[in-house]
Amino acid sequence: MKRAFILFTIFLFPICVLSQESELLHNADVHKSKYSSPFAQPKFVPDISLIADFSYATRDYREEEYKDFAIPGFLDAHKRSGVGGSDGIYAFSDSQRRGFNLNYGELNLQSAVDPYFDLFSNFTLTESTFEIEELYITSKSFPFNLQVRLGKFFSNFGRLNSQHEHQWDFADMPVVNNVFFGDGLLERGVQISWLAPLDFYLLIGGEILHGENEASFGSDGFYVRNADLRIKGSDRPNICTGFIKISWDIDDFVVLGGLSGAVGRTRSDYNVNEDEGYAIDACTSIYGVDLTLKYLIDSYRYISFQGEYLYRNMNGSEYAYDGSSFDLRREQSGMYTQLVVRPFIQWRFGVRYDFLHMNEIYVDSVRDPDVQDNLDRFSFMVEYNPSEFTRFRLQYNRDRTKYQGDDRKIINEIILECNFTIGAHGAHKF
Amino acid sequence: MRYTLLALLAVFVFSHLAFAELRVITAYPYIADLIEKIGRDRITVKALARGSRDPHHIVPRPSLIAKMRRADLLVINGADLEIGWIPTLIRDSRNPSIQPGKSGFLDFSRYVKLIQVPDRVSRAQGDVHPAGNPHFNLNPEYIIVLARVVEKKLCELDGGNCAYYGRNFSQFSEMWLKRIASWKKSLQHLKGIKVIQYHRSHDYFLEYFGIISIGEMEPLPGIPPTSRHVLKTIQRVKDNNVRLILQDVYHSTTPSRFVADRTGVRIVVLPHDVGSLKKVEDIVSLYDEIVRRLIHD
Repeated sequence: MKRAFILFTIFLFPICVLSQESELLHNADVHKSKYSSPFAQPKFVPDISLIADFSYATRDYREEEYKDFAIPGFLDAHKRSGVGGSDGIYAFSDSQRRGFNLNYGELNLQSAVDPYFDLFSNFTLTESTFEIEELYITSKSFPFNLQVRLGKFFSNFGRLNSQHEHQWDFADMPVVNNVFFGDGLLERGVQISWLAPLDFYLLIGGEILHGENEASFGSDGFYVRNADLRIKGSDRPNICTGFIKISWDIDDFVVLGGLSGAVGRTRSDYNVNEDEGYAIDACTSIYGVDLTLKYLIDSYRYISFQGEYLYRNMNGSEYAYDGSSFDLRREQSGMYTQLVVRPFIQWRFGVRYDFLHMNEIYVDSVRDPDVQDNLDRFSFMVEYNPSEFTRFRLQYNRDRTKYQGDDRKIINEIILECNFTIGAHGAHKF
Repeated sequence: MRYTLLALLAVFVFSHLAFAELRVITAYPYIADLIEKIGRDRITVKALARGSRDPHHIVPRPSLIAKMRRADLLVINGADLEIGWIPTLIRDSRNPSIQPGKSGFLDFSRYVKLIQVPDRVSRAQGDVHPAGNPHFNLNPEYIIVLARVVEKKLCELDGGNCAYYGRNFSQFSEMWLKRIASWKKSLQHLKGIKVIQYHRSHDYFLEYFGIISIGEMEPLPGIPPTSRHVLKTIQRVKDNNVRLILQDVYHSTTPSRFVADRTGVRIVVLPHDVGSLKKVEDIVSLYDEIVRRLIHD
């Protein structure tokens, strides 16, 4: 009996061990861990968002005609065939083509770099190009209320310039911003700003920018063949800006005002070596005053006014294609004012009046009597936003700023714009 | 000369550190009140948002940046409730001590268990909060947890007054526990009733006191009521013997009134934060008023 028990135990033992082993093996599931990604860092994915903007536009002039239109003294036909325009891109840079437009796709990536910096990037995609529109770091732990921004970014000049297209209240930018800055004052450089130690908001800052803006600045030299004259490129960086912003609340009424200035060298070559071409070598300063008033009726409804006045002084020489040269002085200004109301959570209505107000051009100290200074545009828009991430906007423009030769062309324009945002898009500033 | 300047600077900095009260900034008024209950006269506290406004849609006005500039501590609700307005303000405040990750930054949502955490999110579901329902300030038990978190944080930043903060916490929690018992008693007879909310703003409160929320006036979070959804809601109210329609203070009551008129159900406007109604002056009166309105109104 005893022996039988021992035998039984001896026989059973391996069975016990085996079954224990198989249980272990079963729990371990050796087949499961065959593939792994030990170095994947999915939690470090930055915030990614994509904005898509489409539109349908129509106006009472055909494309071929519209391309030949100019804003006298500000934008002329040469400009369009010159720098950046030969492939049919309009000088009216924010203009929409007749018919369906894929205006842009905007890809944003942003994240903290480390405890000291945040990085923002903003890539503009068109059907055929991929462009780094913005790429910059912002400091977050500088002492003495300072903040530093470094990279390529929209300048903090004025109110509208630093805002992205999808934050605008209208489908296009005001004429004055367009003629002074093209697509905006968007440059490589460095910005430093200081928040004053006061109980209201007072921000003082400045920037040093590379200076390639084609509408008012530019730093590449040029050669005038007929005069055998070489104008050297300007020093780089080329633009200095300064800005003061001040804001306070009176209960639910928010006031934000600003003063800005940008000074730099101008080197613009509008095909000086071709017929009717010319080039400019000058020093340009642009000053701006802006005011935003917003009354917050409740959580969703508001009335907001925004206006900006810009003045440009360009002083230097103009070189014509035949080799002649003149003293050139341009004193120009313009402004826009807009009123936007959001009476219901999903609806917004807006009117905008913008005009070019001063247009004095002196050639060899003699004022050109032919340039017009009563150039204006009226816009109306209505917006339906089913959610925060979708926008349908219908806009009407009555544009009296454009000329064909000496004839003013009054343009009626209708734009239906759709804007969609997906992904993790960062909060907007005020 | 240089040393004199340095010495002056040192004195200035030291005097600032040694004698200044702790300056606290909070996202919402209920947080400010909770901090005042623990810190009392040893701190100064200000809220950025106003209690009467939709907490999801605060306008990031520049004056808020100026308010945050000098703060020693920023306390937020978290769980993405402030995602649409506070991130840029924090950066632009240029205040290194309140940046996320620093000891001067406190996120309440880290210390409580959120409900309705979705396992998958898509904006096709409306304004969903990936972290879960962020309106946890209406669970009375969480208020004690958060008061404790505040006490710990104040002790960390201002050790000298730690005992004082500790006493205030004990006083507060004792009072609060008594209140919870009395609210429970008052709401006893509402246990198990069914209600409709405008938005899922009071789920924590309802769940705690045993009131069943069976749907919302909004078809999806953040999307205003559509006529189709309102008609569906009327049917739902009738089919489920819904007793109340709960409405927050910041949305229009028109859709709720439409449903109420057709079903005879009572609309109750409920405060959600300190300052959302005139009577709601602190966190205690916030709960008092919710309870009072649910019973009488």
